[in-house]
Amino acid sequence: MLTELLQGTDAGGFLIIQDSASYSGRHLLKSFINAALHREEAVHVLGFEVSEEELKDGLIGASIHRLHFHNAYTDPLGWTHNPAFTVHQFCSEGVTQLVKQTSQSKPATLVIDSLSWILRHVGPPAVCKTLQQLRKGGAVRAIIGLLHADMHQRGTVGSVCHMATSVITVAPGMKGDEAVAKITKRSKSGKVMQDEEIFSFKEDFTVVVQNRPSQLGLKQTETEERETDPTANLTFNLRLSDTEREAKEKLALPFVFSKEKKTALLHSGRGSGRILYEPDANDDYDQEDPDDDLDV
Amino acid sequence: MFAELSSILNASPDSFTQGEFILVSDRQSDASFLIHHFLSFYLRARCRVWFLGLVQSFNHYSAVSQRLGVSLAQAKEKGQLVFLEGLKESLSVLIPQDTNTGSKAMDFLRDPGVGLKSLYEFVRSSVSSSGSRAEGAEEWGPPVLLVDDLSVLLSLGVSVGAVLDFSHYCRATVCSELQGNVVMLARCDGEEEEGDGDDEGSETLLKGLTHQCSLTLHVQGLPTGFCRDIHGQVEVCWRRRQGDGQSTQKKLFQYKVHDKGASFFAPGTSSAVL
Repeated sequence: MLTELLQGTDAGGFLIIQDSASYSGRHLLKSFINAALHREEAVHVLGFEVSEEELKDGLIGASIHRLHFHNAYTDPLGWTHNPAFTVHQFCSEGVTQLVKQTSQSKPATLVIDSLSWILRHVGPPAVCKTLQQLRKGGAVRAIIGLLHADMHQRGTVGSVCHMATSVITVAPGMKGDEAVAKITKRSKSGKVMQDEEIFSFKEDFTVVVQNRPSQLGLKQTETEERETDPTANLTFNLRLSDTEREAKEKLALPFVFSKEKKTALLHSGRGSGRILYEPDANDDYDQEDPDDDLDV
Repeated sequence: MFAELSSILNASPDSFTQGEFILVSDRQSDASFLIHHFLSFYLRARCRVWFLGLVQSFNHYSAVSQRLGVSLAQAKEKGQLVFLEGLKESLSVLIPQDTNTGSKAMDFLRDPGVGLKSLYEFVRSSVSSSGSRAEGAEEWGPPVLLVDDLSVLLSLGVSVGAVLDFSHYCRATVCSELQGNVVMLARCDGEEEEGDGDDEGSETLLKGLTHQCSLTLHVQGLPTGFCRDIHGQVEVCWRRRQGDGQSTQKKLFQYKVHDKGASFFAPGTSSAVL
């Protein structure tokens, strides 16, 4: 489902990427930007959290000129005298104007990095209203936003995600460069689909979706096989040759009561020592009847 | 500076990554020894350092740096170190006198609701004024801002949002514009769990700063309790791309603080144990 979303076929869609302090969703956001650029769409980025160089880092290619970065990073609150774009300009008229300035006739894709920044300064109701107006407005074809779920209260996160057509929650995966994405997608007919996928990134920001988490067992044996061999790189030999291994497996352990031992004990072999015992009167000492004269 | 820590971070006074925002944090522990490391590291690397010392006096840092082999008084005289002594400046705000013409840096104490814009203005004006130095001045490296510590601002009544805005602006100015480094200390008292505890402010602050930074060093006590030979553990987490994909690299070390430094080792390899 992640690949479908990356292909981004539905217009009027609002996609939210939710991340947390343990795993940043910005890389996935860049994948979405990359995919949109490859589809020859104009992409407008409202950059609050990272600088232009940092966002464009790695997004090379001929289509980079279709990426318009609106700098809200250097001065989002208007503390200097000529801010480029402040957080208070985030309203549907402000954004529409910004998009129309640089875009051609085709509606553009709007990317917001990040929604958390805006939510901190402009309250959730205003943000939701602006997003709704932008979706209906027509200047913007689709909106993709990054949201840091652990920075807000659950109610705020819930309200904003309620407006989204798709929500992708990313979390770190078991292996180093893998991540887990929980996807919820609402289609226009009202059907809700949910899925969980493990993915990783290639050099050029394309996403590689791997096995589903339900195949965890398979993955675990894979990890075991890839572990380093402890018998390698030693100054002494810890390995066994085939003959040695056979001999080892044949060996009967001393205190293990195996079938062979049992038969050997029950049927003592010819010539081996036999014990002949004739009960002796002196041996028959009963502690409770030392004189052996009780009639029990 | 602690040589082992420098090699863990792949940095040396001659070559270190520029434009980094380093977050030093602790949970029920004391990470200020790392601030002393960074202070002496960047002074040795011949960078201009701006130090916002909000919790201790200048003499405290001077005494510790002496043991690490760096003289703060000398650096201050040469103009390499600019030290904002928060404790002293706050006195002039709290006990206003006619003769004081102090900077407006600590003005947020008068009205914490206003935010930290004046503190940022102080940092900005001081950092950019260095660009226009006269000839004959020494060639310094990139600018470095050290803040010790941010959590005390929360106790003084500043909101979490205002502190995050301040750190954002510092990062935009020092890291992105001037390609310098920023190191900030944030402290946390409570357990790490979601709840309606009193400590929610510092938890949110810590999360917000973690999202902004490129490298975190998180100091905690040992989960098994107090140990005489191992003072705690440090988790180093690289968040930005190291040129090869998103891999957020995490490494855990245990440390021991000595008289003249601190030693870092992999868990279980303390010299007391081996």
